Amino acid sequence: MSKNLAGLTRFSARELLGPLMTVLVLSIGVGAISASLQLAVQFALCNLVMVIALQVFVGNSGVLSFGHGAFAMVGAWVSGMSTASERVKGNALALQELWQPLIGFKLNLYLSIFIAMAVGAAIAALTGAFLMRLNGLAAGIATFALLGLFYNFFFNNITLGPGSQALPAVPKFEGIYEPLAMALIAIVIVYFFNISATARSLRASREDLLAAPALGVSIQRVRWIAFTISGALAGLSGAMYVHVAGTWQVQDYYLVFTFLTLAMLVIGGSASLWGAVVGTLVVTAVGQILLLWEQGKSILGIQLDLPNGARSLIIAGSLVAMLLWRFAGVTNGKEFKVPFLGKRRSS
Amino acid sequence: MQAILDAISLGGTYALAALGLGLVFGVMRLVNFAHAELITISAYVMVVTNDLPLLISFLLAALVAALLAILTELAIYRRLRGTGPAIMLIASFGLSVGLQKSYELIFGALPRSAAVAPWMTGSFEIAGLNITISSIVTVAITIVILLAMGYLIERTTLGLQLRAAATDFKTARLLGVRSNRLIGSAFAISGILASAVGFILVVENPQVDPMFGLNITILALVGIVIGGISSLRGAALGGFIVGFILSILNTFLGNARVYAYSYLFLAVVIILLVRPGGILSKRNEMERV
Repeated sequence: MSKNLAGLTRFSARELLGPLMTVLVLSIGVGAISASLQLAVQFALCNLVMVIALQVFVGNSGVLSFGHGAFAMVGAWVSGMSTASERVKGNALALQELWQPLIGFKLNLYLSIFIAMAVGAAIAALTGAFLMRLNGLAAGIATFALLGLFYNFFFNNITLGPGSQALPAVPKFEGIYEPLAMALIAIVIVYFFNISATARSLRASREDLLAAPALGVSIQRVRWIAFTISGALAGLSGAMYVHVAGTWQVQDYYLVFTFLTLAMLVIGGSASLWGAVVGTLVVTAVGQILLLWEQGKSILGIQLDLPNGARSLIIAGSLVAMLLWRFAGVTNGKEFKVPFLGKRRSS
Repeated sequence: MQAILDAISLGGTYALAALGLGLVFGVMRLVNFAHAELITISAYVMVVTNDLPLLISFLLAALVAALLAILTELAIYRRLRGTGPAIMLIASFGLSVGLQKSYELIFGALPRSAAVAPWMTGSFEIAGLNITISSIVTVAITIVILLAMGYLIERTTLGLQLRAAATDFKTARLLGVRSNRLIGSAFAISGILASAVGFILVVENPQVDPMFGLNITILALVGIVIGGISSLRGAALGGFIVGFILSILNTFLGNARVYAYSYLFLAVVIILLVRPGGILSKRNEMERV
């Protein structure tokens, strides 16, 4: 995929603390400015978890996946459906034909998120057992078909969910600390996976599809492991999203979500965990600034009156421009070490 | 009978869309998501110029689509050549969204409509069977274009170069194929094919909105992969199969037709698992990416 041989090899506290501290400081700092920014931070954290889920698989293996939206969709459905209030599930217009046992089904918020992760992992493991044989574009299209299948099912099914409408009254997180903690945990999980032998074998297969098996790497096996882990994280991202939005709607996890998160990964640089963090940050920041301009507010003294709809156009344009400028991503596949902490390794 | 004719005509339309995508993929390994916006712009042009004679309106649409295709090549894809299919795919998606939003600013978010070629919506009866004119015309257009494309690809120098480039772009260049000109022509032809698809679609459904071409493009993308991405014939065949299956499913699933896409996508996954290189691939070769 790239000529860039970047990737973590051994544990370094400074490399782990880099993304952790960046996310922590920015989330709390930006979230403290205003209520609307706090909500934006919550959504950004959901996207961040999705982007690092994609990094685990797409970044390490070099195989494109459009299927992660499906895992997020199911994760969100599990967590949303099992925590929404029984009164609403029994009475909402969109849920007239909901399967009876689902109405009384109620779980603790955190337990439901954990189950959402498990379900995401299970579906990824099950489908991955077949899909991991595919390479290149065939893999991309097959995972896309997976997304399309889940979307089509949930969009039309009214016994298991609200169909094309929304499931209302899903309990929300109380502030940024819950999603923040989850995002930080996800970063730690991914960091330890990325320095593992499995992830290194997977990156070897990314660089050379023929040489890696010759050195004893079972490509299908290492891909499957990464796919399952990233399925769990995508499930987590969906579950977080449903508790930030307070509602579940199948459209939220389809094309726009899939491509926005993939674009974040590619813009940041898919080869590194730091790239996933930077990509999410850059795209979110550009989007927020444009949103403020669209609303006629000034940022650092600059005020532009953007017409409605110009925002998405500029985001799409800057996405393309960033790829033209630096196609390996802003970080170029490098990790970020916290400076001045511990001894510098002379390597 | 009408069901089969519908399936053939839908399959043909998808084959045209798939062929346009396959042409561009062949020369530069680009999965061009923005092909959807070429279809959309030609439909817009035909709606806006509906007062002009049909032929002129169509030629204008084809011209605009071809120019837009070449413009995207010059401005964006040319500079991304050699960065890998994943990067180009993401870029083409960005371009696709960007164009959709531009259409929204130019034409508005609500559908624009005009009765393009209203005579085609009628129907006639043969041996007790009710047959719509549009399905006949669609099949006719498809056959003519496929034959013309067949001639172009099999018998002309440009076609030879396109085939050579689709098989091995580097070697083709070394043997003297001018890559910029070839890629430019592939984009122009794909724009013209997109306008043919736009015409067929706008006759069936005259409500043109910014997302007009998206659905067929996604399904045609699926089609070219299951047909076999390394050959143009495979691409067209795959597109046809997807359109054909979808139309048949829509007819025979009855009330369950809302799940037609689910069955289609399931079929796609199974086909890819059995033949990762597509139906027309001879052996299980690894993609050279």
